[in-house]
Amino acid sequence: MTAPTPEVLALLEATLDAVVIMDDRGRIEAFNTSAEVMFGYRAADAVGRNVNMLMPVAERGEHDDHLRRYLAGGEARVLGRGRDVRVQHRDGSEFSVFLSVGRIPGTSPPKFVGYLHDTSLRQKALATLEKERQVNRLYLDLAQVMLVATDRHGVVQLANQRAIRVLKRGHAAIVDSHWLDSCVAPEDRPVARVAFRNLLVSDSDEPQQFEYHVRSSDGEDRFVTWRGVALRDANNVATGVMLSGEDITDQRRAESEAHRALERMNSVARLATMGEMAAGISHELNQPLAAIANYAQACVRFLRMPAPDLPEISGALEQIASQALRAGEIIRRIRSLVRNEDVRRESQDINELIREVHGLLASDARVHDGKLALDLTTPLPSVTVDGVQIQQVLMNLVHNAFEAQAPEHDGAPFEVRIATRVTDSGDVEVSVSDLGPGLAGEAEQKIFEPFFTTKASGTGLGLAISRSIIKAHDARLGYRANQPRGACFYFVLPAHQEASS
Amino acid sequence: MKDLPQTVFVVDDDDAVRDSLRMLLKSAGVHAETCASAQEFLSSYDASQPGCLVLDVRMPGMSGLEMQHELNLRGVTMPVIFITGHGDIPMAVEAMQHGAFDFLQKPFRDQELLDRVQRALVRDSENRARLRHTDRIRERLASLSPREREVLDLVTQGKANKMVAGDLGVSQRTVEIHRAHVMQKMEAGSLAELVRMMMAVAPSP
Repeated sequence: MTAPTPEVLALLEATLDAVVIMDDRGRIEAFNTSAEVMFGYRAADAVGRNVNMLMPVAERGEHDDHLRRYLAGGEARVLGRGRDVRVQHRDGSEFSVFLSVGRIPGTSPPKFVGYLHDTSLRQKALATLEKERQVNRLYLDLAQVMLVATDRHGVVQLANQRAIRVLKRGHAAIVDSHWLDSCVAPEDRPVARVAFRNLLVSDSDEPQQFEYHVRSSDGEDRFVTWRGVALRDANNVATGVMLSGEDITDQRRAESEAHRALERMNSVARLATMGEMAAGISHELNQPLAAIANYAQACVRFLRMPAPDLPEISGALEQIASQALRAGEIIRRIRSLVRNEDVRRESQDINELIREVHGLLASDARVHDGKLALDLTTPLPSVTVDGVQIQQVLMNLVHNAFEAQAPEHDGAPFEVRIATRVTDSGDVEVSVSDLGPGLAGEAEQKIFEPFFTTKASGTGLGLAISRSIIKAHDARLGYRANQPRGACFYFVLPAHQEASS
Repeated sequence: MKDLPQTVFVVDDDDAVRDSLRMLLKSAGVHAETCASAQEFLSSYDASQPGCLVLDVRMPGMSGLEMQHELNLRGVTMPVIFITGHGDIPMAVEAMQHGAFDFLQKPFRDQELLDRVQRALVRDSENRARLRHTDRIRERLASLSPREREVLDLVTQGKANKMVAGDLGVSQRTVEIHRAHVMQKMEAGSLAELVRMMMAVAPSP
């Protein structure tokens, strides 16, 4: 056995791999420091012993066989190429190494050198990395927001479970697709493209917020608020974009539902106030009217006397004048109350306004054990109206219609019908008709007069107020007999002129 | 005793309504006095003053209904005509249940009011005549001696002088003398008239 040269020794000690030299019978001749560290044997203890002590017990016999077979027939199973093998530490624990073995040239009987590279650390690192990846995946998937990462071209690199659920597309269908295609509703793509470009060129690290619709694979649009931030490399060059999106569709829907419910309540409240107000007003108006009637009738009586008391008469006439003015003042107050302070005239689809109050009106119908039918012509030209006021008028007319039918219940169905149609002049007619008794001669004349009522509990103001609302819309609230029977109230709203101008 | 002239008392918080009612009544030759509140009327009212009341149901402070209640408590029998506004029908019904004479809805035709006022005044004078009649009977009753009152009670129960004498333990002659005094003091021409007088003052069942 020749002693290694100093160069060889230095080489052996410098390498981080374990180096083991063995003879043709498998006995260890050299065992470097890295081998000592790796296996827990000191070189002095290892040299001279069979190399198979470094292998798991079950495989030790096999090694001797391989070696014998090689020496007998030259079949090389290990030489010249590396492979992963299991080895055993002095303390009995097993681990993996990458082993490459070479025959030392010019040795006879041959000697072999084995390089053992400890791969367990790398595997551990890989395992840790994999675990981290899974945890990260879990984080991503547990997130209640949609998370989508793209490269700087917009190609999706990653999408979490939430994104997959909202988009209703498989992971495979999203990853590697362009995010504009997979995550944005077609009509919002131009906006989203601009937002994406801004993110890439922006110097700010602050996330930028934008909103657009996403369209899921089944065609449903979801409204999403996105926060995006550019991902940058060490040189501050944008490499991609991280997007977190919150699906606020339900929230939006709830908000608009709540908003509608509130509006509905407001108009009901206003209608109720209208009733109370009317009761108060009718009492107030009664006072001057009663006084006027009394004074006037007194005057007539005085004038019929042979010697009329002229000072008394002139005093009464003055009173009549001032009480008439007082009544006028009360009416002015009603008008200012009825006239909505915040009148909002907007271009509206009357059918839509009707549908909005339909639920409310239908509940009125149920109270009266009746039916509310809609007979809406579509499309209708839009009209410029205060939607709430028009709805108030509709509610008043429908309510009246049900009340008118109530005492006539002869088994015939209570039905109130709201109809819309386009008139010959191209305007929009809205009518509310019932199958009740209709209006008899005098009532037809007086129906729009304030305080005229055919109802036991009526204030006689609902129709008068409705008419003033319609009049304020440059229209007229009219009455005609319904066919085959009943009453029909209608108004014609001028069609929106925008298109022609 | 000469009757005081009948007066219509108008109680309404609305100046114009009150004044116009006074004038309307005046034009029909009816004397009216006005009050702006129930309290004002109650503090100045003299029960001997004949007439009727025209009362607004709805007034601040004491309402017409509360005033009616107060009048009932004081035993005032003057007829009350309520005037009501639109939608005060339930109040009018309540007023009628508590003995109101009638009610009118504002505004009204003059004849409707004047007719009711006339009827109310007739009712009041009938009431007062009836009261005056019973008052006179009570005065006469008060002038009887205890023994005369005993005789009256027994004879109006239909007992003959002889039975009365037996009940009282006196002679028939003594009963006849007391009975003659009773008829004289009560200004009764017959036993039948005496019985009618006693029925008029009898407490109602």
